[in-house]
Amino acid sequence: MFARSVLRKALALPFEQTPSSTTLFRATLSTTTSTSTSTSPNPESPLSASPRAQFNNPTHQQHQPPVTPSSAASTPASTPYTTPQTSSHIPTHKQPLAPTFEAPLKVTSSLLELLPHLTAQRAHYITAHVHAKPYLVTAGDHLRLPFLMANVQPGDVIRLNRASVIGSRDFTLKGKPYIDERMFECRARVVGVDSEPMRYKEKTKRRQRHVRTIKSKERYTMLRIMDVKVKTKEELVQEGAVVVEGQDQATLEVKS
Amino acid sequence: MPVQGIRTVAAARNGVGAFILPCKRMDFHYCDWAGSSRGMVSFLKSALPSFAKANPQIEIRVSPRPHKHPVIKGHYINGREKAICVRNLEPEQIFKKANLLKEASGEKLKRTKKPVTSINDSVRGIWSPYHGDIKTV
Repeated sequence: MFARSVLRKALALPFEQTPSSTTLFRATLSTTTSTSTSTSPNPESPLSASPRAQFNNPTHQQHQPPVTPSSAASTPASTPYTTPQTSSHIPTHKQPLAPTFEAPLKVTSSLLELLPHLTAQRAHYITAHVHAKPYLVTAGDHLRLPFLMANVQPGDVIRLNRASVIGSRDFTLKGKPYIDERMFECRARVVGVDSEPMRYKEKTKRRQRHVRTIKSKERYTMLRIMDVKVKTKEELVQEGAVVVEGQDQATLEVKS
Repeated sequence: MPVQGIRTVAAARNGVGAFILPCKRMDFHYCDWAGSSRGMVSFLKSALPSFAKANPQIEIRVSPRPHKHPVIKGHYINGREKAICVRNLEPEQIFKKANLLKEASGEKLKRTKKPVTSINDSVRGIWSPYHGDIKTV
């Protein structure tokens, strides 16, 4: 349910993203995985033989977190410590899976009429849903998810692809119940893991003098919203949206 | 001298553009003699090289601390530090503690009820009773 509904790794890093230091270390790791499996579409130069010899030491590898090699990104062997800037730097077998859609996006002509007003009015907010819980965020916000997300590292970019409302000051795009994920882009960066202070709860039973104290300390994944973007009319048409008449999946409302 | 307004400086929001890992330095302290450092010593020998290689953005310091329990300290970009005593722990447990320090933000642990923290202005503005049309009840 998690993979289907909520989150998907960002398909591509935008150009203007400055390289993160965490992706830096993952870039170094990836040369090992790509060389050891030797399934990389673009074979590395003979320079990659030396890291293979180092990393295949089993005593070193048993302490590696299991996530890192799978989500790592590869770099050319001549510059082993560069960060992938775009998706073209990442080998195809390591890129996240693109979503598959059966039908093209259908938008009504009335929505397309109003859509330029929404896209032109800057500062958008979005009600993104993660595990069916809504979070109203804008670009630059800090989001502490109420759970520990699996298989992510600090520095990873994920894409929130389920939203019910996107709006600006005067316009609101509402989904029924959700907006099609091809109409917007919302990326978030995993900043780290936070935890709450230790929680003590005293458990008692009636007429028993024994008091049991239980402890708990939850951990939470922290995200930073990188951008909230509504796709313009031209982008939608370019990506193959079909203009239809009648009832739409989303409605655009003007503030009265 | 003319009156000058207070200039607003853009607040740093780590991760919006560039992302810097909050943990900048980790200190590993051990004792050669004490038995509580046995797991730490084996962690330093076996796992620390790969851990340091996997995290090139973290400065790693290893130093003896005789007649004391082994400690891992993490130093963060907000100036704070976190220390974890790892006495009598196995190397695998110590690796988990080191990973915890690596992923932490360095902030003091707080119980927060709201998931979203924002410094942006409200997108839709603040409601005013004097503006807009008259609503009928």
